[in-house]
Amino acid sequence: MPGRSDQDPDQDRPAQTLDADRLGVLVVAVARDRDRKAFASLFRHFAPKILQYCLKLGADRSMAEELVQDVMLTVWLKADSFDPAQATVGTWVFTIARNRRIDRLRKEMRPAPDLEDPAMTPQSLATPEESAQLVQSSRHLQNAIDSLAANQSEVLRRSYFLEQTHEEIAEDTEVPLGTVKTRLRLALGHLKRSLGDKA
Amino acid sequence: MTLPLHHPDDQLLIGYASGQERAGKSLLVATHLAYCPDCRRRVASFEALCGSWFEELPCNDHDGLDALLDRMDGLLTAAHAPAEAKPPKPLAAGSLGGRPVPEPLRSWLPEAIDTPTDDGTWREIAKGVWLSGWERTLSGTTICLLRMASGAPVPAHRHTADELLLVLQGAFSDEYGSYAVGDVAQYVADTDHHASGASEEDCICLFLLDGVLIFLDEAGNPA
Repeated sequence: MPGRSDQDPDQDRPAQTLDADRLGVLVVAVARDRDRKAFASLFRHFAPKILQYCLKLGADRSMAEELVQDVMLTVWLKADSFDPAQATVGTWVFTIARNRRIDRLRKEMRPAPDLEDPAMTPQSLATPEESAQLVQSSRHLQNAIDSLAANQSEVLRRSYFLEQTHEEIAEDTEVPLGTVKTRLRLALGHLKRSLGDKA
Repeated sequence: MTLPLHHPDDQLLIGYASGQERAGKSLLVATHLAYCPDCRRRVASFEALCGSWFEELPCNDHDGLDALLDRMDGLLTAAHAPAEAKPPKPLAAGSLGGRPVPEPLRSWLPEAIDTPTDDGTWREIAKGVWLSGWERTLSGTTICLLRMASGAPVPAHRHTADELLLVLQGAFSDEYGSYAVGDVAQYVADTDHHASGASEEDCICLFLLDGVLIFLDEAGNPA
């Protein structure tokens, strides 16, 4: 990569943790200015996480590296579609990594609603009451997520994010299988209560 | 505008957000999302939760990654933004009384789904109840359409795994409530439930089943 070391004095320093605001600034720099130094900073922040994510979900090292490259190339190409009002940079990169690994590791497509589809029910069609309800229910859910007991959040993370079976969770966390199932049930019950009286 | 009242449970929504859920059920969830701004927000919250777990993954293993960044240099120069995503499948004129099926399901379905029941594309399983000849299997889940005439009850059946319905036209009801366009009914294995058509026009649902479906005769034996 000719000249990169001149442009990028940071490159040999250990990675530092970048906060959410800084990550947002870097994505904008990539989108607007095709800024390679900003891209390199994003790469150093996210590449190890994407690698870990893919390895934990069963990719071998070379497939995981391929996915890192794939996801980061998407970040480079789609930086202008990042919307800070919708998600943090971390969540946005997670969704790209999730979709790419479903495609490459599981060899499945991931169905998603099409935002351009005229048949989609837009939020703007909700009545004022329904809109108020939407805002409130999303706040209730956030409160419920934030107030999950640590051990309940951990079983959710392991079963949905790391896709571990109940047995694997029991073994890894050294708790009885019954406790794993109870914690999962309690976690889902806690989230469900945030729905209030809705089915 | 009435928004859906019956939603997929959180296990399905979190599984969809995290990517743990497989393609078959994800197709139903994603299509419900097109009808349901409420669940779109709920899924966004669950994606943010997964995003925070993603951010917590250790980032100290840089082994080989700097070399990978160097190798990407040429790629970045050569890469061009991909062509615009293909536009959604056009809406068939006049289908479904003006409420067309949204994507992603529309691209999977035949052009018109409310075809006459005697045109050979429907198989009558009981009086006033049909399954579509259109059928797909996605990641082990069988997907087809279930159609119920007004008042017609779906015959007793047994299923060894989850059964899911998403209403695409009309309405049906069971002992738990009534379901209109965009609503999801979720039945776990071996539960008793009795759906029947509850709208003037035929009710047409996306029907998903993991495992085998066995219809029972009047004596309760497999038919």
